[in-house]
Amino acid sequence: MIQPQTHLNVADNSGARELMCIRIIGASNRRYAHIGDVIVAVIKDAVPNMPLERSEVVRAVIVRTCKEHKRDNGMIIRYDDNAAVVIDQEGNPKGTRVFGAIARELRQFNFTKIVSLAPEVL
Amino acid sequence: MAASLHTRFSASSLISSHDLCHLSPHANGWKSSHMPASYKLGRTIQRSLRGSSVVSPMALAANASQDTDDMYDDLFKKYGKVVYKSSDQKSPTAEVDDDAECLSFAVALAKIASDVKAADIKLLFVKPLVYWTKFFLITTAFSRPQIDAIRNRINDLAEKQYGKFATGDTKANSWTLLDFGDVVVHIFLPEQREIYNLEEFYANATPIELPFENEQRFGR
Repeated sequence: MIQPQTHLNVADNSGARELMCIRIIGASNRRYAHIGDVIVAVIKDAVPNMPLERSEVVRAVIVRTCKEHKRDNGMIIRYDDNAAVVIDQEGNPKGTRVFGAIARELRQFNFTKIVSLAPEVL
Repeated sequence: MAASLHTRFSASSLISSHDLCHLSPHANGWKSSHMPASYKLGRTIQRSLRGSSVVSPMALAANASQDTDDMYDDLFKKYGKVVYKSSDQKSPTAEVDDDAECLSFAVALAKIASDVKAADIKLLFVKPLVYWTKFFLITTAFSRPQIDAIRNRINDLAEKQYGKFATGDTKANSWTLLDFGDVVVHIFLPEQREIYNLEEFYANATPIELPFENEQRFGR
């Protein structure tokens, strides 16, 4: 359940460390974003000397949420943090490696590129 | 593992998986355990196992992770029971047939890519590494119209001969991905291939020899 003003960790090596969500892409009046949704975010904290800098506006896709995600087979998956992967306008991840576990739902949302970079797919 | 995967221990267990998840000192519960974390975990388990008949050989040296694995195996054997078994597991022969079919599909796709003069085609068997797919086909194209050509021909062949439809990118992209379920096709532009370096990430996958002339790029 990510909404504007939510701080998220960054799960890749694009250079950003923390993002703050400012808008959810999709419908015009969406309240919350979940795993697999694209958000517009501003970088609140960045690693020095990388292409992405603080207070840059980027797009990101949410890969982990503290709010549990229900699957049709009854499985519920819940992570310990909210995390996102920074992507560009074409949908390619800006970083080259992704960290942490990734939910397999991203494959159905057409983010198989992030899934193929993931160290662990749950 | 995630905090809410159902535990397989019976009611008389000494540790719950809930405890295991929250013993990590990191805020992000998914960071890999470094030496101090596994040591701390080991000590906690030692304390909770005191008074039981299970001996935990918890060494402080570099063998700690190996010993925890052995200890978990012991605990599973003693107290674990199967609660749920997935019903879609196939017999070994059926699996090998499936793999052979996917392999022929992947080789056919690789042949198309080489017909369109894509460079550096690599077919990786990733089934032992990832569970969500079997083969990766990685190739380099040099321009967006070439990527479009590869994509269209691959889609046509897949639809007509194998009845498979691709999800993934519908337009050419610097990293174009076509997802056929068991086979995932990655089409890179040369710079992107260097940047993302998927072959390095999947270095443990067995590469599959392609039975046709594979145009190698200069300097590789």
